[in-house]
Amino acid sequence: MVTLRTQKEIEVITMYEIGRLCIKIAGRDARKKAIIVDILDGFFVLIDGQVRRRKCNIKHLEPLDKVLKIKKNASHSEVVDILKKEGIEVVDTKPKEKKEKTKAVKEAVKTEEKTEKKPAQKKETKTTTEKKKTTKTKK
Amino acid sequence: MPQPKFKSRTYRRISTKLPGGNSKIHYEKRKPELPKCANCKKELKGIPKLRDYKMRRLGISKKRPERAFGGYLCSECSRQTIKKEARA
Repeated sequence: MVTLRTQKEIEVITMYEIGRLCIKIAGRDARKKAIIVDILDGFFVLIDGQVRRRKCNIKHLEPLDKVLKIKKNASHSEVVDILKKEGIEVVDTKPKEKKEKTKAVKEAVKTEEKTEKKPAQKKETKTTTEKKKTTKTKK
Repeated sequence: MPQPKFKSRTYRRISTKLPGGNSKIHYEKRKPELPKCANCKKELKGIPKLRDYKMRRLGISKKRPERAFGGYLCSECSRQTIKKEARA
């Protein structure tokens, strides 16, 4: 827990309630709008909306004048519906699908390369070590 | 003896170790100045200090920060402009 010292800090934290519209100031989601979904310890809140759903410091947020009605810990789909009514569109990127075929092909190629390369390398190393031993014994 | 054009200091000198163990001086053109913030004129961070032909090989996300106003304003000035937009 972070200890609150000044009265200003307490006033700032009370501004950030559940459902408050904010703009993110810092990071790759800067200049995008978000809603506060949950309040965590100290200066941290949970945000969702145009940004990725994540924990965020209050110092990285700028509050707006609107407070929307949301349940605590509302899901992402609920947040999107509420933001659409306000005229804020949320574009969700599709998660990347893993292609099994290409991976299997790559692994097969790798195993072939390993089997071809390994014996050739070992032979070379052996020959070099043998040569060194022979030179040492001669001296 | 170096070539006469390498005796002037327009080229920077880089001492390298050769595989044989000798050291040799290589001559390269000097690096460019870093771009500056349009508001406060400080040098921008997160941008590699490379010549033009090496910058062309990099991807877009490696040439500048991924933030809004990245590569144009510094982080502090971009915060202030976003705050002004929100309060207007």
